[in-house]
Order: sequence, then structure tokens, then C-alpha cells
Amino acid sequence: MTALLLDRVTKDFGDKRAVDDLSFAVRDGEVFGFLGGNGAGKTTSLRMVLDIVRPTAGRIEILGGPPGREKSSELGFLPEERGLYRTMTALDTIAYFGRLKGMSKGDARREGRALLDRFGLGGSAHMKIEKLSKGMAQKVQLATAVVNHPRLLILDEPFSGLDPVNQGLLEDEIKRLSHQGSTIVFSTHVMQHAERLCDRLLLLADGRKVFEGTQDEARATLPARLSLVSRAPPAGLPGVIEAIEQGGEGDWREWEVRLVPGGDPGDLLQACTEQGFALRRFEQRRPSLHDVFIHLVGGEGAQA
Amino acid sequence: MSHPILLVAAREFRQIAATRSFWITLLIIPFALAIGPIASHFMEKSQTETVMLIDHSGVASAAIRDKLQLDEQRRQLMALSRYVESHDLDRADRQAPWAQHDRYYTDADVRAFVAGGGVAHAKRVIGRAAPPGTKPFEAPDPDFRIVATPPDIASAGRAELARSLPKLIDPPHKDHDAQPLDYAVYVPPDFESGRTPVQIWSDGQPPASLMGALQDTLTRAMRLRFLEAQGLSPATADAAGQIAPLIAVNRPPQGKGQERVVIQSILPLLVSYLLLMSLMLSGSWMLQGTVEERSNKLIETVLACISPDELMYGKLVGTVAVGLTMVAFWVGCAVAAAFASQGMIADFLRPALAPLADPKVALAMVYYFLAGYLMISMIFLTIGAMSDSFRDAQSYLSPVMLVIAMPFAIIAQAVLRDPSSLGVRIMSWIPIYTPFTMLARLGAGVPTWEVIGCGVTLALFVAIEVVLLARVFRASLLGAGSKPNLARIARLMRGRERE
Repeated sequence: MTALLLDRVTKDFGDKRAVDDLSFAVRDGEVFGFLGGNGAGKTTSLRMVLDIVRPTAGRIEILGGPPGREKSSELGFLPEERGLYRTMTALDTIAYFGRLKGMSKGDARREGRALLDRFGLGGSAHMKIEKLSKGMAQKVQLATAVVNHPRLLILDEPFSGLDPVNQGLLEDEIKRLSHQGSTIVFSTHVMQHAERLCDRLLLLADGRKVFEGTQDEARATLPARLSLVSRAPPAGLPGVIEAIEQGGEGDWREWEVRLVPGGDPGDLLQACTEQGFALRRFEQRRPSLHDVFIHLVGGEGAQA
Repeated sequence: MSHPILLVAAREFRQIAATRSFWITLLIIPFALAIGPIASHFMEKSQTETVMLIDHSGVASAAIRDKLQLDEQRRQLMALSRYVESHDLDRADRQAPWAQHDRYYTDADVRAFVAGGGVAHAKRVIGRAAPPGTKPFEAPDPDFRIVATPPDIASAGRAELARSLPKLIDPPHKDHDAQPLDYAVYVPPDFESGRTPVQIWSDGQPPASLMGALQDTLTRAMRLRFLEAQGLSPATADAAGQIAPLIAVNRPPQGKGQERVVIQSILPLLVSYLLLMSLMLSGSWMLQGTVEERSNKLIETVLACISPDELMYGKLVGTVAVGLTMVAFWVGCAVAAAFASQGMIADFLRPALAPLADPKVALAMVYYFLAGYLMISMIFLTIGAMSDSFRDAQSYLSPVMLVIAMPFAIIAQAVLRDPSSLGVRIMSWIPIYTPFTMLARLGAGVPTWEVIGCGVTLALFVAIEVVLLARVFRASLLGAGSKPNLARIARLMRGRERE
């Protein structure tokens, strides 16, 4: 089943096109990465999904229906720009947002307490937000997003501004919710988080989709790279488009080898064996998402 | 599960009610009203003014003293008559002068009243007929008190008096315990000749009552002398001086006529003022809350859960609830004070509350109050949605406050002067002033067609306002950066520019 579907969605702000003919689908239970540089259209797309802004054209389907507040009981959202009511207590804040999402007062407060305990804030439940440290307030903000056990959790740049401890906490929470069956969509321009968490991902540039698929599929868009140590130059082997010598000792030379796009290093190893091509090292170098991002989007906006 | 509008309203209410300024504002008005009479009791200056007579003629002093005392007794008699009339106590003695309310009391009436025991006797007679719990009559302070003339001043000449009396009237070193002399009257020996003037020293314009008494007394003495010189016997001349017409006064009873207009306008005016004040306060608190939501970047989190319209209506309901709570508390304090005091406040409140006895008037007051609240709160809310900081909000707020609040003083004065004047009626039809003007006018009576017409016009205006400003509110919530100017606000209202 599809948890989220965007079909040829476009959004214009005056003369500026923020999202351009965007289509993708997120399956139930997936952790889906929404990657792109600054100004790529990630936040606008997520706001359209949440019905905070309306698309200029196209169709959005969320949890089997059109976007709307009636879905809020099944949704969780953590915006990029975060803030809380300074004079409310931590527990009241979580309970308030739980109730806005349709929970009963008792359930909202009970779940709020459980979350605060899990995040190590049980003793601060009745402290006002303005008295909490920034890191504590960030945990409370995360609790407001997940208090209702959302079927679909949408996180807009969730790791920005978090200290390493809270980044770890958030990753754990994403994994926990995913194991419980929630679908998670999160936008980021930090590729390491996407690499650790995403089942599938979408790359956005200037409001247009440039890639959608698994991490392996994303990496496959880049030519495979190998490091070989051989006596003879590997340039003539099948699938090799480039071999650059990196130095070596005696007869053995080290080569940086690039295969044709989609070329399988296994095929090359098989060819070497069949042809009696002597090898002392055959090391496949897997491209990172960062490399993919640079390859597909360009250097702007990517953080390693 | 509660409706999101009620949840937002409850949160707004709690947030405002948790502020110190809310409680200070809530309590300061009853506190000020309670402390006012106590403070004024300590600060009150006697209303009685002192008069010193320096009589070199030998005949004027006694006559002036007698005239001032007579006028004072007349004032007491008139006050007693008003008291008897307002408490319906004529039955105590229907022949007594204080039971005859439609006449001006002549000197003979007053002398007869004094001869019959004056106020003290009247109070005893009235007290026997008054039901238990009736507030007793309190005689007003006398206007003037004649002070003894020191021997050195009594014997001083005009030139000497001109040097010494100003120092008594306006002493160079104030003695706070001693009451200064207010007026000194010098009657020269030959005042009857009309050549030497009677001299008055005063620190300001002498009151007409004192001047009238002096003029009357001294003129009578001069005419008496003149008539005697013309050959009339002293008794005839004196009788000629006593001739006075009987004057009947036709006026509405106490609490009626213009007095009724003023008294019955006080409560509606007060309600109108409370509307203005509670609006300004709760509106600015709500505005702070909306600005906080924008500046704290939590608006997006809220909008992921509820629609902008639910947020807007929730805030409006919360603000109206805050305002109504404040007004209800103040009115409750006033009623409690009235019951507790049983005195002057209750006497005042009874006629002032009279307009509320008519359910139509009471209903109209509630309607105009709520409509006014909604109308102005919507403006505050939109300003909050357009502002990133309270400083931003101030630049929109100042002109709005001026337009709304400035004419209030004019409306209040105009209503007390003539609640059906053309200017007041025109103001009633200008929607942003309709609630204040109609609330202020309702006590004095407004034609039904006007109440309904202004009410419908106001309802239409509020409906259009909510539709147009809601567009600005929705479009501004997530906007950031430069403040929208008037042209952009107009475009947003027309729906030409969307999020």
C-alpha cells in the first residue's frame, strides 16, 4: 500500500516555481529520504503534503486520501524551524499537541509522560519550556511529533541544530517507529543520516526530481570504481573505461579503475580469472550518497 | 475529545490568565475603586468657604450674616425636599415645606421652617415615617462660614486693609492645619451714599451666591434709606423691601428628565468604556501570543494539526473569553460593593441599572458588546499574524488604536449632553464606532429601528471584516521578512495573492 503519493505536483509562488512536476510514491512502512540542497523545494513539498500550502497543480494522496486536517490523528510532523510555547510546561505542551491531533486528554498526558521518561526528561515534565535547555526543548519538540503514534511521520531537516546526543536519540526514535510499522519521510541535506536510515530516497534539485530509488540504485548511477594491483595495465579488460596508475613496487602496479556506468565489478573479476590476468589486489570502492548527490545534483548544498 | 477551536481558545485563555499583567489589570480597577473613596476621604478639602466681614457702617454686618444664614437654610430645605421626594416620604407631614416640591422657597418659607425647628425637627418627623433601613438625610456642608474679625482688622482703615487682607487670603507661609480665609468684605461707613464702593478681597472669582447675598442685602438697605428719605415710614419702607413673587417650579422628580438621562447613561457608558479597555488589553495579549507563535517558529507545528481558520477562531474565542471574564469580574465587584455598602453606591446603581430592566435593552447591550469585541479582536489578530515582533506590531497598532479609541471621549461627552444629537446618531452608523456609541446611548433610549438597523449594519461589517482579514491572516501566518504594506494587505484581502 502507498502511504504517500505525489502525482505531477507543481507549486508556484508568484513568478517563482518552487516545485516542478514532482511525482513519487512512499510505500507503507518505508523510511524515505527526501534529499536536496537548500531551496530545492523539500520544505514546500512537505508543506503541501500536510495541507499547510496548496499545490498549484497536481494531485497528492496521503494515507489513502487527500491531504487535510482530518488526517492529523495519523500524522506526526517535525518542522525544520522549531519552537514551543515558552510558558507552557513540557508535559502540557506534548499533551496540547496530542489533543490537537484528536487524542483524549488522558491518553495525551499518559503518552506524554511515557515519552518524557524515555527521553530522560521525566523529572522536567512540569518545568516551563523557557526553563529547559535547548537540547531538552528539542526532545520535547520531537515528543510533540510522535505523541500520537503516527502512521506517517514527516520530518523536515530533523537533524539540523541537534547536538550529537540528540541526533542519536532521533535516529533511534526513527528506527523504533519504523520497526513498529510507521512510515517515515524525512528531508535532509546531510547524506550520512540518509545513508544510515533510508530504505529509499528521492533527490530533488530546483524543484524537480532527479532520482528516486534505493541506495544501491542511487549508487549504480555512478560508474563503479575499483582499486587493482596487477602487473599488466587493466585498460583493455571488458567494461573498463579508464585505468589510472597510482604507483607500485617492482612489477606490481596499483591502478584506479573506472567501469562503464552499470558495469558489474564481478564481471570484471570473472574476466580476469578466465584470461589469466594476474592480480594481487581487487578492491571494490562503493560510492557514497554524497558522491551520488554531487554527481546528480552538483556540488551545491551537499554536506558530507 | 474537544474541538480544536475550543482547545486553542482554552490554551489562549490559560496563557493570558497566567500572566502577571492580567491579574494586575483584573484587580487594579476594583482596588482603585475601593481605595478612591478612602483616599478622597483623607484628601477631601472642606467645601465650606470662610468669609470675614469688616463693617464700618455698623448696619450691614448683621444683615449680611442673616442673609447668608437664610440662604443656607434654603439650601438645606431644598436638599431635604429632594431627599423626601426620592424616598417617597411626603406622608410624614404633607403640610411641611419639605413635602412641597414644586415651589421655590421664599424667605418667609425658610424663616417658618427654621422657626419650626429646621433640619433637626424635620429629620425627627421624617424618621418616624421612614421604613427601617432607609438612609438618613445628610445635610450638605454649608457654603459659607463667617469668621470672627480680629480687632486690629476691624478697626483698620481701607488702606491698611488693602495691605493686610491679601496676606490673610493668600498667606505667604501655608499652615496646612488652618483653613485660609477665602473672602473678606469691607463695607465703608458711607456705602449707602453709593459713592464709596464696598470692597471684596478674594483669591479668585467670588461665587454668584455670595455676590447675590451681598448685592441683595446692601441694595435693600440702600432702598430702605431711600424710601425713608422719600417720606415713607420705616415700617412701610421695610415692607416694600420684603415684597417678593411666589415662584412655582415645574421640574421632573429626582432621577427623571436630564438627570435620568445622565444617570441611566452612566452604566451603558461604563460598559462602553469597559469594552474599550478590556479590548485594548486582551487584544494586545492575544497579539503578543500570535507574534510569539510566529517568532518562535511554532506556527508550522500548529498548522500541521489544525487549519488556519480553526487557529484564528480559537484565538478569537479565547480573547473574547478573557475580555468577558474581566468584565464579569469587575461587574461582580461592583454588585458586591453595592450590596455591601447599601449606601450611596446602591442609591446610584438602582437608577443606573434601570435600563437593564428592559430585556430588549439588555440583549442589545450584550450583542453590541460581543460584536464590538469580535470586530476589534479580529484586527488585533491580523496584526499579530503580520508581525515578526512586537515592535513590528506597534507600527500597525498605533494608528489603529488612535482611530478606535480617540473618538471615545467625544462620544461620551456628546451622549451625556444629548444622546440623540445628529453627531451621535451618525457615529452610531459608522461600524467601527457602532458598538461604543450604541452601548453609550442605550441607557437614554434609542428607537428600535435604529437599534436593529445599526445592529444589522454592524453584523454585515463584522462578517465582511472576518472574511477579508481571515485571508490576510491565512496568507501572513507563514510569511516572513518585510512587513506587508497597505497595497499588499489590500491584495491579500481581495484574494489576489495566495500562499
